[in-house]
Amino acid sequence: MTALSTETPSRPAAAASPAALRARKDRNRALALLSPGLIWMALFMVLPMCMVVYVSFWTQTTFSVEPSLTTASWQRFLGSSTYLAAIGTTLRIWAIVLVATVAIGYPVALFIGLFVRNKTVQTALLVACVIPFWTSFLIRVIAWRPMLGTEGAINMILMKLGIISHPLEFLLFSEFSVLVGMTQIYCVFMVGPITFMLGRIEPSVIEAARDLGASFGTIFRRIILPLSLPGVMVGAIFVSVMVLGEFATAASLSGRKVNLLGNIIVSQVGSLKWAFAAVAGVVLTVIITAVIALALRLVDLRKEM
Amino acid sequence: MFACEKSINGETDVLTLSRVTRRYGANTALDGVDLVVPDNTYMALLGASGAGKTTLLRLIAGFEEPDQGEIAIHGERIDGQPPHLRDIGFVFQNFALFPHLTVAQNVEFGLRHRARAPITDDAEIRARAEAALELVGLAGFGHRGVGAISGGQRQRVALARTLVCEPRIVLLDEPLGALDANLRARMCDELRAIRERLKVSFLHVTGSETEALTMGDEVAVLAGGRIVQSDAPEMLFTAPRNAAAARHLNAWNIFPAGLCAGGAAQGEIAVRFDQIDVSPPGAVPDGRPHLAAQYLTGEFNGPTALSFFRAEDGTLLQVVDHLSTPRLPELTEGARYDLHFAPDAARQFHGAA
Repeated sequence: MTALSTETPSRPAAAASPAALRARKDRNRALALLSPGLIWMALFMVLPMCMVVYVSFWTQTTFSVEPSLTTASWQRFLGSSTYLAAIGTTLRIWAIVLVATVAIGYPVALFIGLFVRNKTVQTALLVACVIPFWTSFLIRVIAWRPMLGTEGAINMILMKLGIISHPLEFLLFSEFSVLVGMTQIYCVFMVGPITFMLGRIEPSVIEAARDLGASFGTIFRRIILPLSLPGVMVGAIFVSVMVLGEFATAASLSGRKVNLLGNIIVSQVGSLKWAFAAVAGVVLTVIITAVIALALRLVDLRKEM
Repeated sequence: MFACEKSINGETDVLTLSRVTRRYGANTALDGVDLVVPDNTYMALLGASGAGKTTLLRLIAGFEEPDQGEIAIHGERIDGQPPHLRDIGFVFQNFALFPHLTVAQNVEFGLRHRARAPITDDAEIRARAEAALELVGLAGFGHRGVGAISGGQRQRVALARTLVCEPRIVLLDEPLGALDANLRARMCDELRAIRERLKVSFLHVTGSETEALTMGDEVAVLAGGRIVQSDAPEMLFTAPRNAAAARHLNAWNIFPAGLCAGGAAQGEIAVRFDQIDVSPPGAVPDGRPHLAAQYLTGEFNGPTALSFFRAEDGTLLQVVDHLSTPRLPELTEGARYDLHFAPDAARQFHGAA
C-alpha cells in the first residue's frame, strides 16, 4: 500500500496560477472560434465596402473607370430626378411591403405560435410556410404572371363571375404586381421570428391575464403584442434588408415601370458604369444601415431575446 | 379594504362542486368530484401527482370545462361562464407573472384591465396595488422588473396580483412547489396569516401531506379522480376513512388483514407508523395483533428514525421511532421480527381501496 500524499506537486514560483492558465486558454479558444468569421468579413465585406465607396469617386468614361478622384458620379446621381425618384420608389415599396408582411404574417404567426400548442404541428405548419421556397426564386416570381395577367386566372374568374366586364389592367406589370410578388416571397421571414416569440409566451401568462378579468382583446393588446414585438422587429429587419436590395421581382413583374435602387445598380453594372453603380450601392447601404439602426432603437433586442 | 363580502343570507359555502367529471379521450381525470369549500376557510387539497389536482383548479377557474357536473359559487352556477367573468383568483405554480411589466404594473393589471368594472382612477389603482404589495411584504418593490426579484418575491407578487382584485375564492396551484425549503416554511405561515386577514377562502392544492396538514383548516384528499375524504387535519390524520386517504398521509402502513394473527381476517388494516412496536419472534405481549416481517434497513432522519420491514406477502411496512423515546430493540438487517400493535390502533377498511 502506498501512503496518500497530501503535498501539492511543487511548482516554480513564477508559474501562472491555474485560474490564469484557464483564463488564457478560454481567451485562445474564443479567438480561434472568432477568427474565421472575422477574416471572412474583413476580406469579403469590409474591404469590398471600402472599395465601393472608393470607386464611387472614380472617373467614369464610356466603357471604363479610372482611379482619378472626382465627385461627378455623385453629382449626377443626386442631381437627377430619375435617381432620386428611385430612392423614393424603393422606400415606398419597402414601407408598403413591410406593412403588408406584418398584416398578413402576424395573424398566421399568431395562429401557429399561440393557438397551435402541439410542437409537431407547429413545426409542420412552419415547414408548410417555406414550401414555396422549394422552387427557385424566379419561378415563384414569374408564377404570378399567369395569375395576374389580363388573360390570367384572377381576371378570368372575376369576369366569369360577372364582377368586371374588362380585365383589370393594373394587376400585372405595375407597382401592384411588384408589391404582391414581394409580399408573398418575404412574408415567411416575418412569420418565422414572430412565431418564435409567440411560442415562447407561457400559456399560463395568458391564462393569468384572463383570470384577472381581461378580455381577449385586452390580453392581445397588453400582453401578447408587447411580448411579440421583438419578433416583429427581427422580421422587419429581415424583410427590410431583402426588400431594399431587391431588383429581380421588380424586373420581372413591373414591366420596367418600377425602378428600384437595386435595378439601377444592375443596369449600370450591365453597361459597365462602375462608378455610378458604386454610388447607388453606397446610397442603398446607407439606407439599409439607417433602417436597421432605427429598428434596433425601437426594440432592445438584447433585453428581449 | 380586502375584506371579502360576507356570505350572502347565511349561506356558508363559497364553492360547491357536484359530480364534476373531466375526461381526456379514454382517460378520466376526474370522476364525479364532490367538494365543498366553506366560507372563510383555508382548504387544502391533497393528491398525488397526476391525480387531477390541477385539472380540478382549471375547471373551477374556467380554463377548461367539465364534461359533467356542476360548479357553483355562492349557489350560482359558474361552469360555462368565460374565465375572465368568474371573479376567481388563480395563483399559478410558475407564478405566470407578466415578464414585460414591473411588479407594480403586474399587480395593477387586473384592476386596470378587467372587462367587468375596471377602475379608471389612477390614484386609486396605485393605492390599492401598493396596499396589496404591503400585505405580502413587498412595499417599495413596485418599480422593479419581475426578472429582477427572487423566486419567493415573485410568489408574493403573484399573490398580490390575485388578491388585489378581491376574488370570491383564491385557488393556489402548488404555490410553494417552486420555492426552497426555508422559504416554503415561511410562506406557509404568511399564506395563512394573509388569508386570515382577508377572510377569503383559499383552495390550496399540494402533493405534500405535511403542507396540506399544516396549512389546511380542512383537508380534502383527491385520489382516483374523486374526493375520498374531506375533514379537519387532525381528524383526517388520526382517522382516515379509507385506504386511499390513509395512503396519502404517508403515516399509515396498509396491509391485508389476513397477514395479521389475532385480528380480523378480511379487508385491509391500517396502522400508523408510530403505533407499531417491534419484538423478537415469539415475544409479542398478550392481546396484541401481530405479524411477522423481515427487517430491511433503517433511515435516520434526525429527531426520528424510520425502520423498514417486509411482510410475508411482500408489503413494505414502516415503523417510526422517536429519538427521545426509543421503543425498538436492536435490529439486525435480514433478521425476522414480530410487529405488533394495540388492537384499537388499527383501522380496518372494507371493500376495494
